Amino acid sequence: MSLGTQNDGQGGGVRGQVGEVVAVAERIRGAIGTVIEGKPDVLRLTLTVLLAEGHLLIEDVPGVGKTMLAKALGRAVDCSVQRVQFTPDLLPSDITGVSVYHQDRHEFEFNPGPVFANIVLGDEINRASPKTQSALLECMEERQVSADGQTRPLERPFMVVATQNPGDMEGTYALPEAQRDRFMARVSVGYPAPQDELDMIDSHSAGSPLEALTPVADAAQLRDIADRVCEVHVAPGMRRYVVDLVNATRTAPELDLGASPRATLHLVRAARAHAALDGRHYVVPDDVQALAVPVLAHRLLPGPEARMERLTPEQIVSRIVARLPVPGPQ
Amino acid sequence: MRALLPLATLVCLVSAMPLLAPLVTGSSWWVPALVLMVTATGASALYRLTGRNPAPVPLLQVLAVVLLLTPLFAAHTAPMGVFPTEASLDRLVQVFERGVADINESTVPVTANTGLTFIVALVFAVFLIVADFLAATARCAGMVGGLLLILMAVPLVVDPDGLALWQGLWCAAGYVALLAVESWVRRREWGAPVPSPSPGSRVLAGVRRAGTAASAGAVAVLMAVTLPLAVPSLRTDALYDLADGNHPGFGENVVHTTHPLVSMRRELGSDSAGTVLTYQTDAEDPDYLRTYVLDRFDGENWTMDPVDASDENVAGENLPLPTGWSTEVPGGTTTTQVSLSSSTPRQEFLPLPYWARSVDVSGQWHVDEDSHTVFTTGTPPTGLSFTVESSRRTPGSEDLENAGSPTSLSAEHLGLPQDLDPSVQELTDSLTEDADSAYERAVAIQNHFADFSYDLRPPEVPAGSNPVTHFLFEDRIGYCEQFAGAMALMARQADIPARVAVGYTQGERANGDRWVVTSGDAHAWPELYFEGSGWVRFEPTPSSGGGQGSASVPEHAAPSDGEDRDGSSDSPSPSPSESPSSPEEPEVPEEPQEPGGESTPPEGDEDLGSEAGGGATGAPGSPAALPWSAYAGGALAVLLLAALPALVRAWVRSVRHSALAGAPGPAAHAAWREVRDTCVDLALPWELSESPRATAARMELPVEARRALWRLALAEEAARYAPEPTTDGRPRQDLRTVRAALAASTSRSARLRAVVLPLSLAPWKRPRPAPLPAT
Repeated sequence: MSLGTQNDGQGGGVRGQVGEVVAVAERIRGAIGTVIEGKPDVLRLTLTVLLAEGHLLIEDVPGVGKTMLAKALGRAVDCSVQRVQFTPDLLPSDITGVSVYHQDRHEFEFNPGPVFANIVLGDEINRASPKTQSALLECMEERQVSADGQTRPLERPFMVVATQNPGDMEGTYALPEAQRDRFMARVSVGYPAPQDELDMIDSHSAGSPLEALTPVADAAQLRDIADRVCEVHVAPGMRRYVVDLVNATRTAPELDLGASPRATLHLVRAARAHAALDGRHYVVPDDVQALAVPVLAHRLLPGPEARMERLTPEQIVSRIVARLPVPGPQ
Repeated sequence: MRALLPLATLVCLVSAMPLLAPLVTGSSWWVPALVLMVTATGASALYRLTGRNPAPVPLLQVLAVVLLLTPLFAAHTAPMGVFPTEASLDRLVQVFERGVADINESTVPVTANTGLTFIVALVFAVFLIVADFLAATARCAGMVGGLLLILMAVPLVVDPDGLALWQGLWCAAGYVALLAVESWVRRREWGAPVPSPSPGSRVLAGVRRAGTAASAGAVAVLMAVTLPLAVPSLRTDALYDLADGNHPGFGENVVHTTHPLVSMRRELGSDSAGTVLTYQTDAEDPDYLRTYVLDRFDGENWTMDPVDASDENVAGENLPLPTGWSTEVPGGTTTTQVSLSSSTPRQEFLPLPYWARSVDVSGQWHVDEDSHTVFTTGTPPTGLSFTVESSRRTPGSEDLENAGSPTSLSAEHLGLPQDLDPSVQELTDSLTEDADSAYERAVAIQNHFADFSYDLRPPEVPAGSNPVTHFLFEDRIGYCEQFAGAMALMARQADIPARVAVGYTQGERANGDRWVVTSGDAHAWPELYFEGSGWVRFEPTPSSGGGQGSASVPEHAAPSDGEDRDGSSDSPSPSPSESPSSPEEPEVPEEPQEPGGESTPPEGDEDLGSEAGGGATGAPGSPAALPWSAYAGGALAVLLLAALPALVRAWVRSVRHSALAGAPGPAAHAAWREVRDTCVDLALPWELSESPRATAARMELPVEARRALWRLALAEEAARYAPEPTTDGRPRQDLRTVRAALAASTSRSARLRAVVLPLSLAPWKRPRPAPLPAT
């Protein structure tokens, strides 16, 4: 299975530095692919977010493999993985950690919470109270934990993979816009195709394939390729293209709330990772176009008219992408 | 801001006022117009300042203008000079009628009296109200240009000098100012367009806009030049004139009357010898009827001198004595009642017997003292009737023999161009070497034409040769125009003042004292001047059956040595059968003539230069006279015009091909642009929101072409987005492969259109971004 988008086997200037990115990413993807069947786009986006050092929000109905995807990712990379099952009674300190008074030493000792890991799975994040949600989201953005007047940095790579059920499910607290904005991308897993579902029955009948999954990369490798991704070239025209795209969401009449400047940064970083996954050392409009919906859509708030027309933010972003001219020759 | 547009409209119309300045003499004709316009503008501006619905503005303006007319033009009829009464209305109508009459009767420049001032003021006031409505209410200031065009057409039509450049520019400046104000107001109301991101591209956008404006202007000029060629109702010979280079400048001439020789030729050439006029006379043997006098020779053609249309020379009871007559002729006068046929075209010049002592005709007619022609500057009615009293002087041979040198005549009647063929002078000298007196020289010259042949359709004069010498030495065939012209020319060379008269022969007696003149009687003859006897008619044209049917040699000019000449009997020997048999004499174009102004000679001859050419060009002015080379040139021009888009497209392609060999970045851009334009030419879809690789992925092409397209797309992608462009690849071959494959994927008609009408050249066909949702 090839990582590249359809390009008829034409490589886009593979360089040694991104060649390694491709190799590592290919291994991880192969590993996850044994668990999650027939979802190449979802895997690709997951890897993109991983390489771009962002956080991923997986949103879908229960049972389609959200948690499985997150777990598989944690297993495929040899690094610390923590899982938090969000419930309504979960407290912020359950995530960040808690200081406990040590009787012997007569001092407080900090017990780090599950957030001190390379990959944190936040399961059903929208079932926790807003207070708890925001504790996690603060860590996501700052990549550090402040407790008892002490700031403790989190280790790289740090990626939160949160899953949530669609907003109208029972017993959920929908993530506010400000918190959705912290996730680099949102993805829906969706139901598998019938053939993939058949294959799934076979592979899962012998036991969980997750158990058989062995790590194919480690944290140091991830750090290294994340650094490589940062070196991917973004031409001035491409930067402007991203800004235009984000701007268009702010001025679109269908939208009450457009994308934030943070979205611009996320989009550029994700596009860099996307290009590197393709083995390219520069970003092309196709990278941005492929990422526009997952990176932007979950941050947007459709206006009343769009809601009446049943226009989803995804559709609105797609329309904008279809109209915005790609940057031409400088 | 609301009052701005009315004010700009006022400025625009005021800037158009100088257009009329050369047409009107006097200093204060423009004041009432200005007062009315300022008042109307004030009414509009004040009303608009209130911010109400502007619909009643024109009404308000009309009211203001009407109220102001009384104090301006009929003050003494109104109480306190302001309030209009019935009398003031009468007075205004009176003033208006007088103005109309003045305009109709006088020539430019018109003296500015009350009537004219009134009309000018009224016209400008109406124009201002309309312009104010267009610019400020309807908000389409561009339409005001139509009003300006009307104003501009006035000097073009009535002034022989046409339009001065500065007037046109001044008027245009006012118009541009109005447009600028309108667009400024529009921007203020609707907000400025979103500025382009970088100053560089803003400059580029400005350049592009200027380019658009320039190309629109160029297209307009091109259409203005070429459209008249294509519209059949306009001049058919326009192309010929254009190629000839002799085309008189626009505005120099005014169509008032046809060139005398042209109208004569038309009459002679008409199929049916229709009646031109009938007259009743008490003369037993009436003389020719003179209409025009041509007294200038430019080397090929005889043309008219400017005639004097001043108020002093109104034709009426006592016409001036003709030049050279010291006294009136003893003996009785002849009364002739002439009725022009209603089917005859309007005659601005009256056909009169020579010498007419008084003319009784309705309308304002002038008499030119020098040529003794009677004409009008207005539009005479068709079917005009008039009565003329005339005296005829029939000098004897002795009078002419003994005539002294012409003293009472200016030397211009001997004037000849310098570059005449010397062989004509040699011929004249050889003919007149034995003659002792001017009279004998004249008769000798006249007799020289005895063995010439008369034909209304003389053979065509080869291009490049002078029609006069061709007539005299080569084919010796012609009709009255050539005979008269050549004899007058040779007479001048023999030091006899001479000119060509155009008119009609006496025609044919119908019954009793009624005579009928048909179009076949149209004629031209030389008039030679002899001191004491004045202008005397000669007749070199053969008459009767083989010649001009009703022409006759006057007694004094008859050969004294008894040499027989065709039809030299005194009595007319009409033979209507001489009227030309050839059926398709084409319509001869109206030639611009200006009988009115003193300043400008009629210049219709310029066009005659080639087509009439002294008359030896066969069917004069006929399209058949167009040389084949003109057709070939025209066809070539059309072909070239049709091939122009293809040529431009090929040029663009070759420029891009030459870029392919250069630096990889520009080469990739050039190749990709060429792919884009090929797609546009072939009407294949092309989306600006598609990246190169997305475009390459979308196209369905054969494998080889697909690979080539991918190479081009990835090279373009790298050139656009990578730190440095890729250097490998062979864009030239790839481009060729892709173009061939793209063409093969479409229909034959699409390919043909891509070659003949490449859409990529049309700016509006280029791919453009769809408007984003509300930016």
